[in-house]
Amino acid sequence: MLTKLRTVVLAGLVSLSPLAAGAASAKKLNVVASFSIIGDFARHVGGDRIDLRSLVGANGDPHTYEPRPADVRTIAAADIVLVNGLQFEGFLRRLIEASRTKAPVVELTKGIQPLRSTEQAHNHAQSGHHHHHGDYDPHAWQAVPNARVYVKNIADAFCSIDPPGCKTYETNAKAYDATLRVLDDEIRATIAPILPHKRVVITAHEAFGYFAHEYGLTFLAPEGVSTDTEASASDIASLIRQIKRDNVAAVFVENITDPRLVQRIAAETGSKVGGELYSDALSRPDGPAATYVDMMKHNVSTIRKAIAPGVP
Amino acid sequence: MTRVQTGGTVILLTTLALTCAALAGEKTAWRLFVSDHSESIVNVIDLLKHEKIEAFATKAPARLYRSKTGRTVLAVQRGADLVTAIDSGISFEDHGDHGDLKVKPPRLLGVEIAGKQPSHVVEHGGEIAIFFDGEGRARIASERTIQESKPVLRKTAPGLPHHGVAVTNDRYTLISEPNAQNSGELPIGISIVDKSGAQIGGVHSCPDLHGEATSGNILAFSCASGLLVVSMDVSTPQIKHLPYAAALPSGKTTTMLGGRGLQYFLGNYGSDKVVLIDPAEAESFRLVTLPMRRVDFAVDPVRAKFAYVFTEDGRLHRLDVIAGEIDGSLRVTEPYSMDGHWNDPRPRLAVAGDKIVVTDPSRGVVSLVDATSLTKTGEIALGGRPFNIVAVGGSGQTHDDE
Repeated sequence: MLTKLRTVVLAGLVSLSPLAAGAASAKKLNVVASFSIIGDFARHVGGDRIDLRSLVGANGDPHTYEPRPADVRTIAAADIVLVNGLQFEGFLRRLIEASRTKAPVVELTKGIQPLRSTEQAHNHAQSGHHHHHGDYDPHAWQAVPNARVYVKNIADAFCSIDPPGCKTYETNAKAYDATLRVLDDEIRATIAPILPHKRVVITAHEAFGYFAHEYGLTFLAPEGVSTDTEASASDIASLIRQIKRDNVAAVFVENITDPRLVQRIAAETGSKVGGELYSDALSRPDGPAATYVDMMKHNVSTIRKAIAPGVP
Repeated sequence: MTRVQTGGTVILLTTLALTCAALAGEKTAWRLFVSDHSESIVNVIDLLKHEKIEAFATKAPARLYRSKTGRTVLAVQRGADLVTAIDSGISFEDHGDHGDLKVKPPRLLGVEIAGKQPSHVVEHGGEIAIFFDGEGRARIASERTIQESKPVLRKTAPGLPHHGVAVTNDRYTLISEPNAQNSGELPIGISIVDKSGAQIGGVHSCPDLHGEATSGNILAFSCASGLLVVSMDVSTPQIKHLPYAAALPSGKTTTMLGGRGLQYFLGNYGSDKVVLIDPAEAESFRLVTLPMRRVDFAVDPVRAKFAYVFTEDGRLHRLDVIAGEIDGSLRVTEPYSMDGHWNDPRPRLAVAGDKIVVTDPSRGVVSLVDATSLTKTGEIALGGRPFNIVAVGGSGQTHDDE
């Protein structure tokens, strides 16, 4: 049954039909992003041609988000809905069904090379857990090359429903893509001097698989791909043994998860809490990760300072 | 612990998945547990077969509560100072990409939780708090321990007898604070106690506290002044007072339900109104006036945008919680006047998959209404005065090797 539902919802790659002629020039595109990081991408591409709403806001956890009646009204009024896909937004089906929206629902991970989640094996090995996620790790934005794909997909989607604005969207996307390329180079340059055996990072949940894959780090996490997963005692004990054995220097809390588990692991292993990483949500505007670019810079800088403080 | 990997044994997993799918079949099962208004009995109905499959004798007429999983039904018998646990016989096992459905005969679990005047039952975070008005305290169990015939994990300290409520998680318990001047009155607030029984902070004022509901990760208590909105996700429960909007007419909510699939609360507000509450909105309260006085209401856990209200003229109304208006009505029973005692036998509602189920105590039947078309599709005769009702079931996969 679940499989059927997913097919209905995330077949949401609805063919895009342009808005009625002249509609876009008369009013801004009403864009709904499922969470704050996608909202930031959309803002850069859409500029002042769009009105933007992000359902899950700053520091919100999309894994456990509970949609509200107001969200249904937001979706119902949308011209386009931008989502991550890869079964990341578990709340989406309810909203789409309840809103009866005809707006296209665009999965921005289309075209990326998804990484297989290890949770399938994990899930069947553990009983009594209640988490729902797919075969693939959905946190693709944690690798900047994937973020560039997201941005291109957004520009294409906007062009499809608002042809008169297409040139603007493409120009905006191109400028932002250049920023992302520079960001990608910066991250690689920051990590390059760190010795390979130092590149082990402990976080609360498994949100950094794409970062690890792209930039050559190893991330370990007591929780799975979804924060809805509860870490078992044996998982935590195993992680603690590994931290001690490998002499892992630092562990990191995340902005969307309860820090107590990571703090407990730090206390039991004598490692330090290296700081707060931003995984699935941006910070508030006055925080260190108010935009995607700031988030990625903050994360890599925090990691480097904690695990390789001697590296300039 | 899970470790990030970038490769995988795709072919093997695909083969295994296909093999599992080949062995699996889809199955649906729904059961209704119906207590009688005056007889000490809980009837069990197979909703697909439209037939009674079991009847459990209790010590007194019972109010029914179903656990979130639906695996356990608790029969709260205030007249017998007892809560009896029933295994619904229907359980689900989450396999991530699908859920397995297991159906067995319903049975008494042999678990009876005794105490003076049991009243509200609240499940939160896997723990079930049963408040005993006559003792002013709660006994706390979990579904797992109940299913293992080890009912009570712990008790809160005895207090002044009062009509109260408790909600607990693995670290803290929120418990009603009685009116010390007159414990026969409704409670005056909520206290937070830790596992040792030590109170954390002061009393959170909630005059005339009556009514509690959970929607997603938010818990709410209704008070004469508004709601207490509680987040229990954080290390110490965070409580905020949400006053009724000044634009609302005089009144208060005393019974609430939490939305399923959408985060909102539905409460009564006077005899002929209900109120939709979204604590996160600037205008949190939306009042809906009913055509007649309200008898009962229920939220739809499947079609999240709908709730249902039954009114004393015998009609069932479908409430669109997004628009905040009734979008359809259906005559289901003869009229049931709300004059008389509050606990007179009157219809109660439950939602079972694509059916809305309405008890009809005067005629001794349970009426079935199609939730999509809002048409009456049948009745199941039970005799007696069918009153409280809960529905348990759903769809899932079954495997040949079971």
